[in-house]
Amino acid sequence: MSVPAHPQAMAPSRPGRTRTAPPQRPDQAPFGGRYRSHTLFGATGFVYLLLGLLALEAVWALGGGSASWSGFQASLASPFMIAIHAISFVSVIFVGVRFFRLFPKAQPPRLGPVRPPPAPVIIAALYAVWIGASVLFAAILAGGIL
Amino acid sequence: MGEQKKTFVVTRFDPDRDDAPTTREYEIAVQPDWKTLDALNFIKDHVDGTLAYRWSCRMAVCGSCGMMVNGEPRLTCKDVLSQYGDTVHIAPLANFPVVRDLVIEFDGFMEKFERVKPWILRAKEKAVEEGTHRQSPEQLADFQHFSMCINCMLCYAACPVVSNEPAFLGPAAIALGHRYNLDSRDEGNGARNQVFRGDGTVFSCSYANECSEVCPKKVDPAAAVNQAKIGALLDWAKGLVLPRGGPE
Repeated sequence: MSVPAHPQAMAPSRPGRTRTAPPQRPDQAPFGGRYRSHTLFGATGFVYLLLGLLALEAVWALGGGSASWSGFQASLASPFMIAIHAISFVSVIFVGVRFFRLFPKAQPPRLGPVRPPPAPVIIAALYAVWIGASVLFAAILAGGIL
Repeated sequence: MGEQKKTFVVTRFDPDRDDAPTTREYEIAVQPDWKTLDALNFIKDHVDGTLAYRWSCRMAVCGSCGMMVNGEPRLTCKDVLSQYGDTVHIAPLANFPVVRDLVIEFDGFMEKFERVKPWILRAKEKAVEEGTHRQSPEQLADFQHFSMCINCMLCYAACPVVSNEPAFLGPAAIALGHRYNLDSRDEGNGARNQVFRGDGTVFSCSYANECSEVCPKKVDPAAAVNQAKIGALLDWAKGLVLPRGGPE
């Protein structure tokens, strides 16, 4: 069952002599089939919005003194907060994998006199940086560094 | 394997009589090697001569026979029928106004093409006696696959941005403009990048990548659009820092 697209989608600037039927969206858009991944990608924006608000709350708590900060830290143990962080973790992996898959071909064939390396090299480098940064942050958070 | 019966649910629309498109079913016997276009031609020749649709070359070169087959944008001359079940739904390309039955209005598409100036622009034309503009195989390779587009418009039918933003130039037009921007003989980057940054901007693209998924010629318009974003951005930045606004 198709849904109408914008009535002016792909319409000429001046209407032709023949009456036309309005354009329809692709059947599966925006939640089905080939569009699901793209829509989910867009939906991760809400997750990042929540995380941003959470970061603001953390800064606010930090400015409110040690009692306020302790309260904020305690609130992170609630099931709701754990669920948000679990969803955020999955979202970050999903967005990262999608980004790494699509990134290489978005590179111009030339950047000045330099040509970008082949796509597999770019993808391998991205994953290497991702894994390296994750290990580094994990070590810092575990107290192994600093 | 012999012939098999299939039911085709085909969108019909007569602008002189119908308020809105409807569907009509045709049950016919199809051969195992038929393409979707063969079935439409059979229906037109033997069942219902009033059915309207476009086709020409039957070899995936002219780009005329693009339609939605079971909800997917397909070149019907290349689309093997045996991959589908007993019922096949055929509709006009999504995101386009419909002139009649399976025929879409593509004047809007042609206008978008014209806007990206799809020809070689030179600041000063070379005199004939100076010879041709030479190009190395490496320079040709930079843009060659973007020049393989057959204007079938399947990419527009798959694009979720085209559904929502009428001004968006769209995948094929941007790919063609970008093809000329990459051409070593061309000097029109500045003019095209202004179009890319203006109304219908390349930055409307949210990189769904579906244009490239459905492209029957593997042109990869999503790559072109996203490379064009970088080109348009660099061109804008050059205009800020270079004297006299950078390249024209």
